[in-house]
Amino acid sequence: MRFVLSLLALLLIAGPAAAQERAPLVLAAASMQEALTDAADAWTRAGHERPRLSFAASSALARQIAAGGRADLFISADSDWMDDVAKRGLVVAGTRAVLVRNQLVVVSRPGLPRVVATKGAALGKLLSGGALAMADPDSVPAGKYGREALTRLGAWNVVAPRVVRAENVRAALALVERGAAPYGIVYATDARAATGVRVAGVFPPRSHAPIVYPIARLTAGESPAAEGFRRFLLSRAGQAILARRGFTTR
Amino acid sequence: MSELLPIVRLTLLVGGTATLGALPVAFALAWVLARWRFPGKVLLDGLVHLPLVVPPVVTGWVLLLAFAPAGPIGRVLEAGFGVSVLFRWTGAAIAAGVMALPLMVRAMRLSIEAVDRRLEQAARTLGATRWRAYATVTLPLAAPGIAAALVLGLARAIGEFGATITFVSNVPGETQTLPLAIYAALQRPGGESEVWRLAAVSVALSLVALVVSETLVRRAGRGVHVL
Amino acid sequence: MSFDVDVAARRGEATVGARFVAGDGLTVLVGASGAGKTSLLDMIAGLLRPVRGHVRVGGRTLFDADTGIDVPPEQRRVGYVFQDARLFPHRRVQANLLYGARDAARLAEVAATLDIAPLLRRWPRTLSGGEARRVAIGRALLSEPAFLLLDEPLSSLDPARREEAMRAIERVRDARAVPILMVTHDAAEAERLGDRVITIG
Repeated sequence: MRFVLSLLALLLIAGPAAAQERAPLVLAAASMQEALTDAADAWTRAGHERPRLSFAASSALARQIAAGGRADLFISADSDWMDDVAKRGLVVAGTRAVLVRNQLVVVSRPGLPRVVATKGAALGKLLSGGALAMADPDSVPAGKYGREALTRLGAWNVVAPRVVRAENVRAALALVERGAAPYGIVYATDARAATGVRVAGVFPPRSHAPIVYPIARLTAGESPAAEGFRRFLLSRAGQAILARRGFTTR
Repeated sequence: MSELLPIVRLTLLVGGTATLGALPVAFALAWVLARWRFPGKVLLDGLVHLPLVVPPVVTGWVLLLAFAPAGPIGRVLEAGFGVSVLFRWTGAAIAAGVMALPLMVRAMRLSIEAVDRRLEQAARTLGATRWRAYATVTLPLAAPGIAAALVLGLARAIGEFGATITFVSNVPGETQTLPLAIYAALQRPGGESEVWRLAAVSVALSLVALVVSETLVRRAGRGVHVL
Repeated sequence: MSFDVDVAARRGEATVGARFVAGDGLTVLVGASGAGKTSLLDMIAGLLRPVRGHVRVGGRTLFDADTGIDVPPEQRRVGYVFQDARLFPHRRVQANLLYGARDAARLAEVAATLDIAPLLRRWPRTLSGGEARRVAIGRALLSEPAFLLLDEPLSSLDPARREEAMRAIERVRDARAVPILMVTHDAAEAERLGDRVITIG
């Protein structure tokens, strides 16, 4: 028992450093993990305190902000969740901007037919040959875009029964990589980062609402360095870093 | 990409705090459920088991509502102590503790109920008050089960994910315990080797917990023999 | 009168109880198995609450339904030797003996009387039935009771052990100044050990 207690005491003393308090806390969509980490690395190399990056589903993050959690920046994977936060008056006026954009693509393992049919029954037939992996259309932005695009193209009703709802985009990607689903709907950035799958088709931009990643500073934030990091992300240097991971920048 | 040692340290800190914090609560609940009779007992039993049957994400959400600065408990913490548990390891510990509690209560309750009440009766006839009987007879005999409950709670706390990420997010160094780190690694294409490494550490931790529990149980159980 | 008992309690569908008075020495209550003898002892010890009646031992009222007196077991100064010994498994024999003892100095004397001195360092689970029985008697004696209750002290012992146990009880009966109440289903035992025999059930 004593051993356990002293171990705990040791852990408490050696625990999370207090210096972390000053660094900005950034809540960001999971799909931005590599790109934002690259940007944070660059920011840190320039001599600033390393921002704390928390990646999770936009829905969970938005709820944490709505509940009053003290974070500095919010980068959402779609406008809806940012609107939700803004509606509650939790966004600092004038700090909301589009950080980056993305494209919606269909992926598959090499060897499967490309998506040449672009709409209607033909598209639906191709995609419903097996399972179709996508992020949950009801709650995850990538899924919402996917359903919207398929609906506009007249294929949703056909593919809907074959849709496998994944927890997030990366999980959908994993399903395709592992061969559990022949096709999946993910972002261009995910397809680019993955080995083992290739882009089988790109959704026409007009088939879905623009995929934007809004960024904003939050009113509950406490870090003085937050605005600096936000500006950096929107600067030419920051945008170049994000573009290297496949995002479409201004 | 992520360093192993801080993650393990944080996981142990969160898991250990969660288990030790839940221990007195679990014990009190187990005792009440094992030994008392009162109206609404079934209701209490059901409430205690809620985190077991409800999706962890829902539990995390309820905790978020309660501990947020605007919530009933969060408000008190802010006003009285000036602290917030959101995005902090303390919040992660609360999430893990709440998820581990039902398992601990179950195991402790069973071990208390397993103690033959006739032994308590014997102690009473020898002059022991009810409390002395509990302390000198019931508790020592229930000890192995209580130790087992602790380990079970620790294992559950260390593996907690859904409630944690919904409640306190995925902040490295604060709330990114092993399960959350594995989740983050899964998000990265090419993060598989990372996943295996983290999973291996998880398994190693569990084995250590098992060994410690065996030692505890054996030491507490020396001389104990179920009649 | 040492014992003045008149009680009844519900056990399942049936009601068990008895009414008797008895003086000093060893009183044996004889009855068939299932007649409620153990419940009777439990009521006298305070482990089972009667639905009516009274229990008076040595002039002291331990229970009285009419006036609402119900002395808790730990205050009744009862020495109860259970049929199943009920030694604490997590303590050695010596610690068991001393559990309720007020004067540890008497340990040697009691151990000698009951011939359990060689068992002091043993764990209860390693004892034979007869040894456990004698340790249970010793434990009860060391708590300096005002009276003793023995529940079928000779049951499930082989003839040699029974003889040992009987002699131990006789020694206790002859040496002690406290009244003893013993229950058994065996009339022969009763005749041999008891100063008086009461049939119940």
